[in-house]
Amino acid sequence: MNSEIKVIKKVKPRELVLICGLPGAAYIGKLSVDYLIQQMKAELVAEVYSRFFPPYVIIKEDGLVELMRNELQHVTDETGKSLVFLSGNAQAFSPEGQYEITEKVLDWAVENEVKRVYSVAALVTDRPFEAPEVYATATSTSLLEETKSRGAKVLDHGIIGGENGLILGLARKKELEGICLLAETHGYQTPTGEYVVDPRASKAALNVLTQLLGIKVDMEPMDKQVAQMDEAIAKMAEIERRVREEMTQSGKRPSYVT
Amino acid sequence: MQDEEVWIKRYNASPLRNPVAIVGSPGLRSIGKLAVDSLISQLQATLIAGFYSTHLPSVYDTSPSYAADPTLPGQAGAIVESGRADLPKVQFYSFAEPPVVLVQGYHPNFEGQYVVAQKVVDFLGDLGVERMIVVAGFGSKEKKIVCAANSQKALEEMKTRFEVGIGYKGPFMGFSGLVFGMAKLRGIEAVCLFAGTEPIEENLEFPDPEASSRIVELLNRILGLKK
Repeated sequence: MNSEIKVIKKVKPRELVLICGLPGAAYIGKLSVDYLIQQMKAELVAEVYSRFFPPYVIIKEDGLVELMRNELQHVTDETGKSLVFLSGNAQAFSPEGQYEITEKVLDWAVENEVKRVYSVAALVTDRPFEAPEVYATATSTSLLEETKSRGAKVLDHGIIGGENGLILGLARKKELEGICLLAETHGYQTPTGEYVVDPRASKAALNVLTQLLGIKVDMEPMDKQVAQMDEAIAKMAEIERRVREEMTQSGKRPSYVT
Repeated sequence: MQDEEVWIKRYNASPLRNPVAIVGSPGLRSIGKLAVDSLISQLQATLIAGFYSTHLPSVYDTSPSYAADPTLPGQAGAIVESGRADLPKVQFYSFAEPPVVLVQGYHPNFEGQYVVAQKVVDFLGDLGVERMIVVAGFGSKEKKIVCAANSQKALEEMKTRFEVGIGYKGPFMGFSGLVFGMAKLRGIEAVCLFAGTEPIEENLEFPDPEASSRIVELLNRILGLKK
């Protein structure tokens, strides 16, 4: 096996739209797409396995083991159009693997007469902002105009690393329509290098994406996630403030002051 | 030039009827390897096959050996035991009654992890294996055994029949982790028994025979070898 798509349930998509959100910076793509999967009750139709995924398994809280994989989940929207979400617990670790997996997924989509490909990713910035902006890039000028009319700004130049970007490049190669939405984030990381999820950025991306898809989803659960994350960040800021205060009172200088 | 990434050497073996596979490799405190070695010795099991691969290094660049890194593939070479040289290998042993296949695992380098695990799972499937028990260790101060599985049914069976519950969550790296994970794709029901052991940071693979003997005792009960 190099990479394979294991079909779980055969579907006959109609006017298929593929929406990709794999784990990346601040988990914006994954969080956004997983949210739509949950809210729209999409159904697992295929799993993607590959030797290019990180070589370990996860033992989950419930004691069940999970291989690294991508998933395709299908739902029919109110107008009868098929939405297929590409999500998963990992991205391939090498460019070779990322190309192979993305090609396989796009081939599956082409076989199912895909009409358009979307992806959601992060735009890591150190620009201070109150609310994150959403930028867009697309395979054609007319699509860019469409995203602008939904509140996105045009990404003039930049790099979209990983499969959330690659899928757009390969969509263009296959002469498919494609749009990538990039939500601004500060891309905070934990001391072990893990990204901290950014639901506020995901919410901003979803605001544009749902308009482009012509769907409505309940955003209340996402608002709760945003509030929880705000609370966690406020607590961290408070701890940091207290440590600084104690250091000032005891005359100690933080070790990073040289 | 070696054409195949993985190749097999078979020895004479009688066919087994739906054997249970027991899988272990040198992981945390070498518990999995010790347990499988101990059972092979206890049962005087018969060597039935060896898997060789260009992805099995004789010298690892990573420590522990199961912490595969794409930039550190290790070095190929020979392994000498009792004066005889051979290549690094995964070995399969069998025992007739109850029908058991014991797998002495070996960690491939980063590139070969999935390739080797896939071949092992396919080989076990071809032998008629429908149930697999993987044995390993997990970092804990408590001398207990917990389990994980690839089905809810298997978890429930471990709880009700052997009083072993869940208790570890997180990543499971190396040969045994991937064989465990890939079993489901081949339709094999798999359980993993993790024995609690205290990690020794300077040498995570330093053997813990006490934890291993706890696993062997449980395996004897599960397989009906000792009441």
